[in-house]
Amino acid sequence: MSHLFGHSGAEGTGYSQPPALKPATAPSIPKGLVRQDAARWPRLSEPEMVRHYTWLSKRNFGIDTGFYPLGSCTMKHNPRVNEVIAQLPGIADIHPHQPEHQLQGLLSIYYEMQHMLGIVAGMDNVTLQPVAGAQGEFTAIRCIQEYFRLRGEDQRTKVIVPDSAHGTNPASAAMAGFEIVEIPSLVDGRMDLSALAAVADETTAAMMITNPNTLGLFEADISEASRIVHEAGGQMYYDGANFNAILGITSPGLMGFDAVHFNLHKTFSQPHGGGGPGSGPIGVKAHLAPFLPGPVADRSVATAEEVGSCVDGYRYHWHEPEHSIGKVQQWHGNAGAVIRCWAYYRRYGRGLKQMSEHAVLNANYLRHAIHREAKRAGVDHLFADGAETDVAKHEFTLSMQPAKEALGVSAMDVAKGLLDRGYMAPTVYFPLVVPECMMVEPTETESKDTLDTFAEHFAQVLNTDPKELHEAPITTPVRRVDEVYAARNLCLKHPFDDV
Amino acid sequence: MVDQLPNLGRELEMLNEMGYESMEDLFADIPNDVRFQDDLPLRGPQSEEEIIADARRLLGANTDLGSRPSFLGAGLYRNYVPAAVFQLVTRGEFLTAYTPYQPEVSQGMLQAMWEFQTLISELLGLPIANLSLYDGSTAAAEALTCAVRVHTRKASQPSTVYVSELTPPDKMSVMHNYCQGADITIKTLKHRKDGTLDMDLVSEAAGSCGVYVEQPNPLGIMDEGLVQLKDILGKNTALIVGIQPVSLGVLEAPGHYGADIVVGEGQPLGSPITAGGPLYGIFACSKAYLRLMPGRIAGRSIDVDGNEAYCLTLSTREQHIRRHRATSNICTNETLIALMGAMHMALLGPEGLNELAHRNMMACQLLKERLSEVDGVDIVHDSPHFNEFAIRVPGKASECLAFLDDHGVTGGFDLARWYPTITDQILVTATDQTRLPDIETLAGQLAVWSTHAEVSA
Repeated sequence: MSHLFGHSGAEGTGYSQPPALKPATAPSIPKGLVRQDAARWPRLSEPEMVRHYTWLSKRNFGIDTGFYPLGSCTMKHNPRVNEVIAQLPGIADIHPHQPEHQLQGLLSIYYEMQHMLGIVAGMDNVTLQPVAGAQGEFTAIRCIQEYFRLRGEDQRTKVIVPDSAHGTNPASAAMAGFEIVEIPSLVDGRMDLSALAAVADETTAAMMITNPNTLGLFEADISEASRIVHEAGGQMYYDGANFNAILGITSPGLMGFDAVHFNLHKTFSQPHGGGGPGSGPIGVKAHLAPFLPGPVADRSVATAEEVGSCVDGYRYHWHEPEHSIGKVQQWHGNAGAVIRCWAYYRRYGRGLKQMSEHAVLNANYLRHAIHREAKRAGVDHLFADGAETDVAKHEFTLSMQPAKEALGVSAMDVAKGLLDRGYMAPTVYFPLVVPECMMVEPTETESKDTLDTFAEHFAQVLNTDPKELHEAPITTPVRRVDEVYAARNLCLKHPFDDV
Repeated sequence: MVDQLPNLGRELEMLNEMGYESMEDLFADIPNDVRFQDDLPLRGPQSEEEIIADARRLLGANTDLGSRPSFLGAGLYRNYVPAAVFQLVTRGEFLTAYTPYQPEVSQGMLQAMWEFQTLISELLGLPIANLSLYDGSTAAAEALTCAVRVHTRKASQPSTVYVSELTPPDKMSVMHNYCQGADITIKTLKHRKDGTLDMDLVSEAAGSCGVYVEQPNPLGIMDEGLVQLKDILGKNTALIVGIQPVSLGVLEAPGHYGADIVVGEGQPLGSPITAGGPLYGIFACSKAYLRLMPGRIAGRSIDVDGNEAYCLTLSTREQHIRRHRATSNICTNETLIALMGAMHMALLGPEGLNELAHRNMMACQLLKERLSEVDGVDIVHDSPHFNEFAIRVPGKASECLAFLDDHGVTGGFDLARWYPTITDQILVTATDQTRLPDIETLAGQLAVWSTHAEVSA
């Protein structure tokens, strides 16, 4: 083990600083504010620090380490050129409060991204300010809320979500002050239109739904759902978590949605960084545009005078929407993430559809290969498809319920068995509507060979002695971690040796 | 054309094995009436080299702060991020991981975040820290809603919080967005002419759910009065302090003078400004807030063999479990930037942080001394400052800044953008990256403009 707080050897610091511009003259700090006890931070030389974090990194699994079929998270390869671009001083060393003429490059990239996202989503206006998918949900729901307030429809206090929705949907709507109405899914995992029709009324502000849904199924009745909600006077909100399945094939706009958030860190390859940063822009139809958080990038054709100091013949500027809900982040969103996703977009251009096609191809192929290998190994009776369907979209679900009943092997056991074979496990126990669920999303950046080998290993795991599987994982840096112990014996920081 | 797709050229082979003829078969479930009928009206693809060239050209059209003397801060501060931080944080095992839901293969990030929580806890003087919120503004906003959840039942001013009137409007706007859904009333606390909090009026806030103030405050003032605040407010009102983390190398940790929740923009520790994002929001609190606080928390535990192991804990507060009853909707946070913060803190050590804080303070002090010598320019507040302070110029601040800009200097922040009635004040900022010649340049140009402005006035 390497412990950061085990280091207290090196005198001074792990990197050398130049002298202050003038010697310290004590009295400038008010007496009552002088720090009495220094933080008990460790003292590491640079080599010790580098070795510690390198050691930690070796105990962590990323896409670069191996196949990462984590459903709903879209763990695709992160192109390295994006990282190089994000370090350029023209993005790393700029300040959001600089005057517009000093930020023409940033503004032009923002404008290009707003424009592109508007086209692929079928939306009229886009803001890049929300910094994560959940914040995008919250922002769009706030825009819808203000839209209804301005129209005097204050009675619209409810937001409808399917029971298979991501937890962030109800959490975001509740944070904005809405009451949540959850509607059950049909047994095949699809949306229940009659249940929707039964709850949609003059108190409905919006319905939040993702399509393909969390089971990886395309909701073919989506236009009908939009019609029901619109007829009741509500708004349709598209959760873009699964947008990577349909880009260039269909769009939320075509399906009748009024607002959408994008997970740039899913669809457009911003690295997930162990949990963030992300970026969650939203797109809206024109009637919601006046409520977007500002500023958004806009442009006009440069005048003869301006041409010398502008980008590609345009003068870019920030625009504040008329009835803006205000801000959801203090600055202009996660610009560094937007830049990476801009580079990703440029790599594909109008060929983005190919990305979605290959994501869907790989998901269907992997589902096929898993069934094929399981049959070959004689373990195909130990699991079932989470949903009956001919084709899945970018992800699919499996239910380990048969294995649970026959052998006492749970989805979690299978997940841990996969860790032992060098894979990240699929998402387990989500969506809740599938018993003993495993949710598998291979993404478009995995080769056929990787998918075939994974399928073989999946069958191998199911063929493993259940006793052995309960013991898994055994090859990982630690074995099964006791989460109950963690919650009952809270240790949330280094305890030091407090006397 | 695209090099990111390993199965390009193998589509038919894969489709045939599944019994399909074409890619179209995989999309047969999408009704025709919701389909795009044409290709996306977007530009063509580019090669990696072309993308880099375009990125350099477009981003090169921005004026990066390092290319000229710059005195713009106002919440974000130019810093130096040590080389080792960038080298390590781009290791693929960190960069390309997801939230550590499978702890057995995520020990590296989990331990790093647990260490981050310890570093932050020690810095702020509070026992509990989460592993980041989005930025300083959302951390402050979530602190307010958290304070209401904890205190509103016993409060004589239920669902009410007080916020310093100096709070930048953009941050205040985030607070309003986060608070309105819970019907929280935000009232303001007045400051005195010298820029410090008016302690005579603070008792108004006693009995509310929480009070938000900053140290140093938005005008850069180190406000000694804040150390008495908790005594006035009492135990049923949360004292929430927003901080600039580097300042705590010399300033007392707010947890040591009674703060219940401390938040802040983590950026000066570990992250470049990056146009304002991604950054990381610091959030720390005392035990009373633990079960109602937002965000992810790493805990130390054991594995089945009894060995030390780490995992996410207290998840029952979170959206994926509690759904609409969650304490926050946050899911994706800023872990990787928090990791950069942890790495920077690890390299600094306590003495390094103290040194870094001194460099910031001394640069500010020198700038103040030098600008106070410029005819026509006044230092607005006769108070001790960290990083930044307001100056009054003879004329409109916006015109002065435009003049400086024309002469190659990014002069600071026009305070009219925060406080519209104040049109002749500039917030000027110095950090550890400010150089002596930069200060001389600013002083010189300000003198030129002031003389000119006074003559023409």
